[in-house]
Amino acid sequence: MTRFVTLAGYVVILAAAVVLDVRARRQQRGARFGDALAVVLRPWRVRLAVVAAWLWLGWHLFVRVHWR
Amino acid sequence: MTEDPGRDRSGSRPGAVAPAVAAVSAVLISPYAWWAVGRPPFSAVATAAVVLPGLAAAGVAGVARARAGGRHDRPAPAPAGMARWAVLAALAAAWQLAAYLQHPRHDHPTLSSLTNAALDSHAARAAAFVAWLAVTVTLVWR
Repeated sequence: MTRFVTLAGYVVILAAAVVLDVRARRQQRGARFGDALAVVLRPWRVRLAVVAAWLWLGWHLFVRVHWR
Repeated sequence: MTEDPGRDRSGSRPGAVAPAVAAVSAVLISPYAWWAVGRPPFSAVATAAVVLPGLAAAGVAGVARARAGGRHDRPAPAPAGMARWAVLAALAAAWQLAAYLQHPRHDHPTLSSLTNAALDSHAARAAAFVAWLAVTVTLVWR
């Protein structure tokens, strides 16, 4: 896999997410991203785990990096 | 004179309050964000400058959510709609893992390495810090 192929994969996945969300909004069927996220976050243990992971990600991105 | 059904008795649109509050909050937090992302990497002060506001944002959103009556129950999406998102999430995780397991990193960038490159400037890091806090609030509030 080259850098181009790897980046193209991310772009395709992001584009697919946008298409899913826009289709759900326009056709009033399927699940918007926010609706899917709300379902996933419904159990409080899952919500707690996701928030903890998100806080860890912030620490990882803003603290544990040597900026040039 | 007819009443606008989109407005409450105070004359404000309920749906327009949240974006306005978010925008004002982002502007007020920006100077702190600028300072916080400028702390020395790996230091205790940098950890405190990032983690404490994150915890505070989660706490404030949690209290606000509880006061608003807890869960915002909405009809659950159809299983087919959820399945599409699950497949996409699995694909994204697999693609990220495949990139992570291969080297060199330049040829196989992970989301983390791409984010680090995107946050190379101080302004970008400060903006990302504000966005990170906003997402923290959303994850707790939603």
